[in-house]
Amino acid sequence: MSDAETMADSPKKKGKWTRRAFIGAGVVAGGALVVGVAVRPGNPIDRLSPMLANGQDEQLLNAWVKVGADNVVTAVIPHVEMGQGVYTALAQMLADEMDADWATVRILEAPADKKYVSDSIGRDFLFPDLEVPEIFEPTVAGGILELAQAMGLQFTGGSFSVRATGQRAMRTAGAAAREMLIAAAASEWNVPATEITTENSMLSHAKSGKSEPFAKFATAAAEQSLPAKPKLKSPENYKLMGKPLARHDIPEKVDGSAVFGIDANVPGMKYAAVKAAPVVGATVASMDASAAKAMPGVLQILNMGDFVAVVADGYWQAQQALNTIDTQYSKTEGDDLNLDGLFARYDSYLNDAGDDGGDIETEEGDVADAFVRATTKVEAEYKVPFLAHATMEPMNCTAWVRDGKCDVWSGHQAPVNARQAAADAAGLDFEDVTYHNAYLGGGFGRRSEKDNIEMAVRIAKATGYPVKMIWSREEDTMQDHYRPSATSRFQGGLDADGKAVSWSNIHTHLFDPQEAPTVPYYNIANHKIRKVDVPTHLRFGPWRSVDHSQHGFFIESFVDEMAHAAGKDGYAFRRELLAGSDRHLKILDLAAKMSGWDQPLPEKHGRGIAFVPSFGSIIAQVAEVDMSGAKPKVKKIYVAADAGFVVNPDGFIAQMESAIVYGLTATLYGEISIKNGAVQQSNFHDYQMLRINEMPEVEVQIINGDHKRLGGGGEPGLPPLAPAVTNAIFAATGTRIRELPLSKHSFA
Amino acid sequence: MTIARALPLLSLILLAACSADPVPGPTEQIIVREPGDAAVETAVATPEADPELALIAAGKAAFANCSACHAIVADAANGVGPTLYGMIGKPAGAVDGFAYSDALNASGIIWTAAELDAFIANPAAKIPGTTMVAGALAEPEQRRAVIAYIESLSAS
Ligand code: HEC
Repeated sequence: MSDAETMADSPKKKGKWTRRAFIGAGVVAGGALVVGVAVRPGNPIDRLSPMLANGQDEQLLNAWVKVGADNVVTAVIPHVEMGQGVYTALAQMLADEMDADWATVRILEAPADKKYVSDSIGRDFLFPDLEVPEIFEPTVAGGILELAQAMGLQFTGGSFSVRATGQRAMRTAGAAAREMLIAAAASEWNVPATEITTENSMLSHAKSGKSEPFAKFATAAAEQSLPAKPKLKSPENYKLMGKPLARHDIPEKVDGSAVFGIDANVPGMKYAAVKAAPVVGATVASMDASAAKAMPGVLQILNMGDFVAVVADGYWQAQQALNTIDTQYSKTEGDDLNLDGLFARYDSYLNDAGDDGGDIETEEGDVADAFVRATTKVEAEYKVPFLAHATMEPMNCTAWVRDGKCDVWSGHQAPVNARQAAADAAGLDFEDVTYHNAYLGGGFGRRSEKDNIEMAVRIAKATGYPVKMIWSREEDTMQDHYRPSATSRFQGGLDADGKAVSWSNIHTHLFDPQEAPTVPYYNIANHKIRKVDVPTHLRFGPWRSVDHSQHGFFIESFVDEMAHAAGKDGYAFRRELLAGSDRHLKILDLAAKMSGWDQPLPEKHGRGIAFVPSFGSIIAQVAEVDMSGAKPKVKKIYVAADAGFVVNPDGFIAQMESAIVYGLTATLYGEISIKNGAVQQSNFHDYQMLRINEMPEVEVQIINGDHKRLGGGGEPGLPPLAPAVTNAIFAATGTRIRELPLSKHSFA
Repeated sequence: MTIARALPLLSLILLAACSADPVPGPTEQIIVREPGDAAVETAVATPEADPELALIAAGKAAFANCSACHAIVADAANGVGPTLYGMIGKPAGAVDGFAYSDALNASGIIWTAAELDAFIANPAAKIPGTTMVAGALAEPEQRRAVIAYIESLSAS
């Protein structure tokens, strides 16, 4: 391995990820004895150990676990915690396979280093269905690691952590560690390995009555050869997986000691407030800072071309001074664009595409022919707006550029990318940047962009001293990378029995995942799905569940319209479409059963059902809506979910609930609009969040349908929510909602 | 599933990872003050507009009576006397590494504006045995100004 020397040979670089740095990040590793072996070839210990084990008393067991002299097992997590509970779930997977004592397990976030990327994610992105024969495993793993490194894939998103990293890396690591500890004990005690049992971080041999902690054999375990394919537990032997264990990060979030990116504290640090050109792509033509110069605390005023920054002793001083600066911007092509104009542009692109234009995403059978011959024809067009992420912690980043080095503090979903972005902005090498990641006060995709990192580094480079840049809520709302707005058109055909025979869809944009607009799970003989790309100057970004957030609404609204046209109930119609897919049917049936689907409801109340498989999980939701008032009141959401095997049910249910909060916020209120090229909303008064009195009761039931192929938890709860609610509104009122948010509609 | 299906997200990440165009520095950089300098520099900019600022400005001038022995920036090296930065609200004798007299250490004073006023008017009367043997200000107006100035460097 050519870069083995980069970490091991250079004392300068070796010092970068010191034990102290970890303790500083809130993790205790004091006095640990840690031994090192790689999980698989492709994760060689030589390259990794200097990053995690920095004292003579510490060595690395494998990429993901350390065993201390105090018998504390530390799980090293290559993902970031943004409220989704990933630390706990991944540690559970490792500790269970290892038979570690859960009460003493500790958690450590992996450093932002290219050598520490999650090859499991790379594998699931690239080869999601890959079943590798054992003999090729090393090569494949090595190859994917290289690829993942190239992409800087230390990435938390795509609902991937548990199903990819947990399933492939954490469990394997735990099982490998356990087997090596057993082998070491067997040789020391001179007994067969098969007679040794493990429990609560202890090794025991019943016949001889011997029993010792893991720590006793940590060093010897390092000498053992690496198990080629450690044996994983089957579900009946799980002790921790499947249990609703308490979240590791909750106590510090409740008592306020948790450190988020915005809490970074660097001696001598000053504060920056920023304002970027309101129209993306414009630059600062002129800036009048005469008032700001005389304001208290002000240190520097910077015109960075694309944005203006004020640096001051305190954040408030910086923001107050910034507010007095009068800025003129260059003209851009986007200046004339309003939201209506943008939707008109979508229309004209869709019109131009006609019946055969655009890019075909999937096609089967002969849609045109089936549609012509259909007894009943259904057509509809749907629209959804731009959405902002509105993370509770506004965007921020602290940077210090000096003496050819750069330190960066933030909370980022892709720490390696953040480190690279900082290096590029500072004009330094990757190796000269130290990136310190903290908790993320909400991610939802927003914290996978690099704009905040670059801006802070550019400011800090200009000042020479450490600067914490904090975006105001206004800046955070107006300079997001938005969930794309979109228009989607459908044509569906039904035969004389009300059976769906054709499905044709064309929509604007496609971002990710590629299957979001497709409906392979529905039995419709003829289908054709196309897209057109429409240029806009706005920045798009992934938003919780990404394209499923639009297409879940489009598809499940149209299925409901077809059901209605067929004279069938939405649940019964979907049952027909899912005939033959047992796992899917089970979830649909469960949701219907939970909701008492055929029970009568009070007047002006309605139930709606929606079914969206996404990110490997199958979810159906039933919404119960009360339309007796001036505004829709969503009373209850029933969620039936099959995520393969749920590792931490409490965490998973919390993800379903939070997806409903996030999704209902968007369904009721979410809209970012554009006027003269600029975003019109700025704060929570015009970009509303769901209030606690608007929160429906949520009931979740889980089916573990396939313990070998796990699904995601962070995103799949969102896509069915909007259509379940709007289908319920239709059931209650006969009004079909084809455009979100609901605040655009009057129900009086 | 094929490799091609997974590509867009990858290309997204790739884009995020490898745009290496040189990132522009400032086109205009107005340096009002270096961080080490006292923040009052800007505060006195419009003294006539604000009586409070005017008082602080007068205090800054009157601080010449103290500056031979006292610094007034954070973490400054101790001179003949300790740094007075952030003094308001602190207990007497609290600056790290300064060798105070026993008398001052035992005084139990918390430095409010009133306590400061009494001390600067006549240090030895307020704390018999103090080693601050000079610097007393007889003028009440001058004391008020100096205290306002010290206060202005205590709040933040
Ligand atoms: C000749 C040197 C000298 C001058 C001039 C002087 N001081 Fe002092 N100051 C001292 C010394 C020495 C001490 C420590 C006294 C002790 O330990 O008893 C002191 C202590 C103090 C303290 C107490 C600090 C503490 O940490 O508790 C204050 C307040 C103070 N001086 C204010 C002033 C002010 C205001 C002025 C100007 C008006 C001033 N001093 C002028 C030498 C001086």
